[in-house]
Amino acid sequence: MPEIFIDDKRYEFEGSPVLLQFLLDVGLDHPFFCYHPSLSIPANCRQCYVEVGTPVPNRETGDYELDENGERVIRFFPKLMPACKMEASDGMVVKTHRSSELVKRGHKDVLEFILMNHPLDCPICDQAGECPLQIQTYKYGPEGSRFEHKKVHKPKRIKLGPRVILDAERCINCTRCVRFTEEISQTHQLAIISRGDKNYPATAPGREFDDPYSLNTVDICPVGALTSSDFRFKARVWEMNQTPSIDVTNGKGANIDIWTRDNLVMRITPRFNPNVNDYWMPDFGRDDYRRMNENRISRPEVKVDDTRIKSSWHNAVLTFNEYLSGVNNKEILGIGSAFSSVEDNYALNKLLNRIGVSELVFTPNIEEGSGDGFLISDDKYPNTNGCRLLGLKEMNPAGLNKAISAASVKVVVMMEDDLVGRSVVTAEDLKDKKVIYFGSNNNETSKLADLVVPITCSAEHTASYVNVDGRIQRTIPAKETLYTNRKLNLEMSVGRLDRYATKYDNWSSDDNRIDCVPAWEFIENAAEQSGQPFNFADARDVFEDLSKSIDAFSGITYERMDDELGVVIAGSEKQKVTSA
Amino acid sequence: MSNEQQYTFSKEELAEIEKIKAKYPDKKPPVMPVLWMAQEKFGHVEPEVQRLVAETLDLPEAHVYGVATFYTQYYKEKMGKYVLDVCTCLSCQICGGYDILHYLEEKLGIKAGETTEDGKFSIQSVECLGACGYAPMMQITNDVYCNHLTKEKVDTILDDLKKDKLPEFEQIPFPQHQNESSKS
Repeated sequence: MPEIFIDDKRYEFEGSPVLLQFLLDVGLDHPFFCYHPSLSIPANCRQCYVEVGTPVPNRETGDYELDENGERVIRFFPKLMPACKMEASDGMVVKTHRSSELVKRGHKDVLEFILMNHPLDCPICDQAGECPLQIQTYKYGPEGSRFEHKKVHKPKRIKLGPRVILDAERCINCTRCVRFTEEISQTHQLAIISRGDKNYPATAPGREFDDPYSLNTVDICPVGALTSSDFRFKARVWEMNQTPSIDVTNGKGANIDIWTRDNLVMRITPRFNPNVNDYWMPDFGRDDYRRMNENRISRPEVKVDDTRIKSSWHNAVLTFNEYLSGVNNKEILGIGSAFSSVEDNYALNKLLNRIGVSELVFTPNIEEGSGDGFLISDDKYPNTNGCRLLGLKEMNPAGLNKAISAASVKVVVMMEDDLVGRSVVTAEDLKDKKVIYFGSNNNETSKLADLVVPITCSAEHTASYVNVDGRIQRTIPAKETLYTNRKLNLEMSVGRLDRYATKYDNWSSDDNRIDCVPAWEFIENAAEQSGQPFNFADARDVFEDLSKSIDAFSGITYERMDDELGVVIAGSEKQKVTSA
Repeated sequence: MSNEQQYTFSKEELAEIEKIKAKYPDKKPPVMPVLWMAQEKFGHVEPEVQRLVAETLDLPEAHVYGVATFYTQYYKEKMGKYVLDVCTCLSCQICGGYDILHYLEEKLGIKAGETTEDGKFSIQSVECLGACGYAPMMQITNDVYCNHLTKEKVDTILDDLKKDKLPEFEQIPFPQHQNESSKS
């Protein structure tokens, strides 16, 4: 196997990796700004300097030439080389800042140069805390600046587009954003203008940076030049918790991180998954934090004499069972949801099946032609394939409308899906029927329901979703409900403010904890109340149960989803065709 | 939108552009000659003209904008009839480039980057024009170089330009060739 010597230590490699990536992969920290593994490599920041040499082959013998001590003769490049532009080759010798004073000096001087015109506004900069420039200056930079002249001033607070704001003074012209629009989103909306000492990225005059993926440029910006007009000045990075999760605004199921502070979701950023979304996600997925925070249903609601009142959980369970047992099982219609998780749909289906109701029906929310073939799918719901694999009965909207409005249906049990808002059914169709609605947010449908069961949203529960490509992935709770505690649930992350907060601190409150439970938990409570519990203690139990009883899910566990970054379900290729 | 349609290339010009495109293997290189063509035709490359160039060459507008903003020779807005590009780069700066620039500014009553009200003159402070041997110097409307500038020389040039008389092209041999040229 080819070998490479980095700081006198031998490593083996395969193929021809980029030297910088190889350094990072073997765990050697190395400074860089413009390099990004998913973009082309312009080598324009010059921060990743290393000393590189190769052994000298003897053309006649084919062996490497040796010096008098029997060591290989190494021919070094005359100057420092950017590691991002070097390909590892057999026998290559690399000296990083760990073993070379020259490289150390190189890093320091490049940073001094980059910082020459960079404003010293870290205390008010949104990037502070997650800023490669800040971190690397701390690690590799000079202690002070010798530049005592007036800095170059450039435009500040430019609205590049509806979602992105540029501070050109902070920009170090790494061109990551430009390359992103050229290579990934392919809208070519950005270019570096006024090249020279006043250069910065901009759109063409009169044009907006309205790329549907524009906020990814904010993520990859290595400084605070590009900031999100929505998130900026809202929270400091170190105040927030970061929890891995799945985007549910879309059938693609982009992997995300949910950032919370005091149980409010502050922002959503993409998380690397090479099989799904790479490092990217569409902009609208980031807006989903509003759904997680706002307009939530907290505490069960029942309709008494046409008045909606808040009710206790005990009463909600009793009412639920009363509605179901009050009618013939043929008069009950269970409606699943491609918006809800595999676990929730399964639990509801299991409960209804047990009392003799046939399989849940559901209607996918697919807008033909709205997808772009990249990370925006036609399917607007995250779990359409999950519903199919569970064996729920798929219907088109007209069919579902017919099924609901049939006179024989007296009780409708709905998993979270705004069927009225989606115009699948009308208020008229639901009149004279008892409607039970499991939902996390108030909407047109919840308004009409006779019993509203508040359930956790994707940021509050552990649950799995099967995306348009048949990959099952799961969420991890990021936000506490009234009944969960991040210090007790070891799966939840605990940020600094959470760890040290007491209820007497002004940064911590219970105001943002919603009075809701996962749908399967309510169903378990209802089953228990009727004397036949399923014994589901957590989402894992539900998933174990369904993986045992449904072939498609057999052998799949949460552990596998975590370790393999989601598992493609066998046979789901067929599903993909039908969903396309 | 009507503003955008104001600028178009004629059939002959489009044919010329096809010829330029044929010279290069990639899409991007023709940007400069075509911007130049457009500037010769319209007198400037305002955003609408840049858009026309981008559309003609099937390139992103932002890219054309990026190219146009690099060169002071492309006029991103409407300029005066005579654009005085005063070099303020190193050699000229040392030999008094800024003195010339400020003298011009004072004389015409405008700042660098501005145009006189009568639309006759614009002043730009530009980077090196490759005539360091004749510093301080300026170029008039991307055309003739005026070398070894002094205030008196500037006065004469301005007076001539007001009469629409461009200064003569000056041949200044390099010092090492000066003897040869005097011989010949």
